[in-house]
Amino acid sequence: MKVEWRTILGASIFLGATGVIYVAYKNHPTEAAGVVMLVFGFAAYFMLFGFLLLQYFRRRRIPRPEDRFDATHADGEGEIAYFPNASIWPAGMGLGMVVASVGLVWGLWYAIIGLTIFFGAIFGYMTESDAETAAVEAAEARAAEEASLRHSRTE
Amino acid sequence: MTLIQDRPSEQPPRLEEPALMEIVPGPRPHGLVKYITSTDHKQIGLNYLVTSFIGFLFAGGLAEGIRTQLIKPDNHFVTENVFNQLFTMHGTIMLFVFLGPFAFAGLGNYFVPLMIGAPDMAFPRFNNLSYWLYLGGFLMLAGGFLTNNGAANFGWFGYAPITEAIHSPGPGADMWIVGIALTGFSGIFTAVNIITTIFTLRAPGMVMFRMPIFVWNQLVTMFLILLAFPVLTAAFALLWLDRHLNTHFYDPTHGGQPILWQNLFWFFGHPEVYILALPYFGIVTEVLATNSKKPVFGYKGMVGATLSIGALSMGVWAHHMYTTGAVLLPFFAALSLLIAVPTGIKFFNWLGTMWRGTLVVNTATLFCLGFLACFLFGGITGVILAQPVLDFQLHNTYFVVAHFHYVMFGGSAFAGFAGIYYWYPKMTGRKLDERLGVLSFVILFIGFNLTFFPQHDLGLRGMPRRIETYDGHLGWNFLNLLSSLGAYIAGFGVLISVWNFFHSYRHGELAGDNPWDGQTLEWACSSPPPEHNFEALPPIRSERPVWDANHPDMLTKVGH
Repeated sequence: MKVEWRTILGASIFLGATGVIYVAYKNHPTEAAGVVMLVFGFAAYFMLFGFLLLQYFRRRRIPRPEDRFDATHADGEGEIAYFPNASIWPAGMGLGMVVASVGLVWGLWYAIIGLTIFFGAIFGYMTESDAETAAVEAAEARAAEEASLRHSRTE
Repeated sequence: MTLIQDRPSEQPPRLEEPALMEIVPGPRPHGLVKYITSTDHKQIGLNYLVTSFIGFLFAGGLAEGIRTQLIKPDNHFVTENVFNQLFTMHGTIMLFVFLGPFAFAGLGNYFVPLMIGAPDMAFPRFNNLSYWLYLGGFLMLAGGFLTNNGAANFGWFGYAPITEAIHSPGPGADMWIVGIALTGFSGIFTAVNIITTIFTLRAPGMVMFRMPIFVWNQLVTMFLILLAFPVLTAAFALLWLDRHLNTHFYDPTHGGQPILWQNLFWFFGHPEVYILALPYFGIVTEVLATNSKKPVFGYKGMVGATLSIGALSMGVWAHHMYTTGAVLLPFFAALSLLIAVPTGIKFFNWLGTMWRGTLVVNTATLFCLGFLACFLFGGITGVILAQPVLDFQLHNTYFVVAHFHYVMFGGSAFAGFAGIYYWYPKMTGRKLDERLGVLSFVILFIGFNLTFFPQHDLGLRGMPRRIETYDGHLGWNFLNLLSSLGAYIAGFGVLISVWNFFHSYRHGELAGDNPWDGQTLEWACSSPPPEHNFEALPPIRSERPVWDANHPDMLTKVGH
């Protein structure tokens, strides 16, 4: 994590320093947009830096396998992450957002239709995750049951 | 796409099993359903690549229309209004639909997880959503041509107050606003996704300073997106309020400030230029390193140069606004000129990578060499334009047009073609036809230079950009004729490559897993890669693990 948070910190400091120089030499007192953007850029990156630093200390500064030069693939054993199956709902959410944005061009009726689709798709997305978890749990339960059956048969 | 090929009989030595993955059981769709629902980063990457290339052909067609109108003085191929729509949508679609998403979303989605040894992106469904926003944005932009008043016609940077409702009525301008905003959201989502992937899903041993330069460049690009696109969206929100709810943010007749739009737009617009360039620098680095059979020369210098280009690009927005008289000239001139330094380091390292290597000259290498020549030229004219004294003379002339086409087309798009020729075997399992590829490169290179080189001189002779016709006695006739002929030749060169992509998909030579003797991890999986990518991973001990596994006698020197 060290390289990550240092990189972001560097970007943040650069924006902050640029902002300070810009304010010091700015010759048009009404021009505020640049200052605001540089300050917000600094703040945004600094927030990200803070988050990464927090993660770093939460791991007690122990490097992850992907931070160690000598790590082997065996060090990364275990579940990496959850990678979901194909799903129709992201496309539904996209459709909803696009239709809703059409409302910005031709009138708010489209926005109502679009948002309906959007929230419907979010609902589908949520129940799909539940269904997927349930399917995995059912498969595990079935496997356990079979194992116990086999066990009782051998007894 | 299910091209299954026998795996090579001799496996690379010293392979280890990757970490176990839990694959969720369930149906595996095909065809159209797969296109719509897939959460696989490779399918989504392909969606982006194909869609953005269609955008390229569409916007390229618009460009041919522009050049046809300008081929001779007092021409009436299209009306003034249509001409304005042509150049506006040419610029908008090329930047927001083709150049950006092609590299950071298309190639980024496909190759970032492969190159760092990850099974997929960090947020696969989010990834799918961002594609649909992007497609919606593209359709919205292109759909502007179907409305009564036509598409937006105020130039791709839409200066206020021309964009106000009173000057640009009709839905075309609104569709332009919404379309770009949608592609912007898609870009932000992709950025979040790729940053998280790079930070949390690297394979064990893949420390930050062993990632391929392409991945580093993607990372910096994504941080630029996170900073730039929200500003653009904010600017668009204000513009929409101006147009529909009678606010006056940009309307000078009611005390608004048009210069505010310029500040906001270019604070997005200049990082955007590097969003369009940095991933392509990464492609060139990978192609040159692989085809020179050498590690990247000056790896850490390369990373540092990328980081400093990214940082500096956020402090130079007002060099597009020198002639407004409302910006701090020395500050922006100094920062703009500073960017030449890291870019120079990059050039030095690209040359150093090729130096004393055994350079394999194939189509991808040729496109990279073309990139080096054209991008250097565009960079030098950029240094000229970065100086206020010269910019006051050249601002808004064809010199500027020539400059950024040398950077964006001769630079980025050539590198994009190099990327296609380099990675097509990985994506489809078949090589592209080399003879057609070389032919396409030669024609495209000649056509491109014939189009844009004369435009430097046109600019120096005072031809302003965005005029739809000109008088015959200004001395611009012959140069414009050359430029238009060059545009047709370049278009022909692109079409040869398009034919090549179609033809080789079915009839190309089978490539195998590692056709170019590649160095980075994407060459360790089969072509095309299976679901969740890797069956086995070589140990990662340097920035080119596949090379180390295939050439144990020529291990990469590790300098840390």
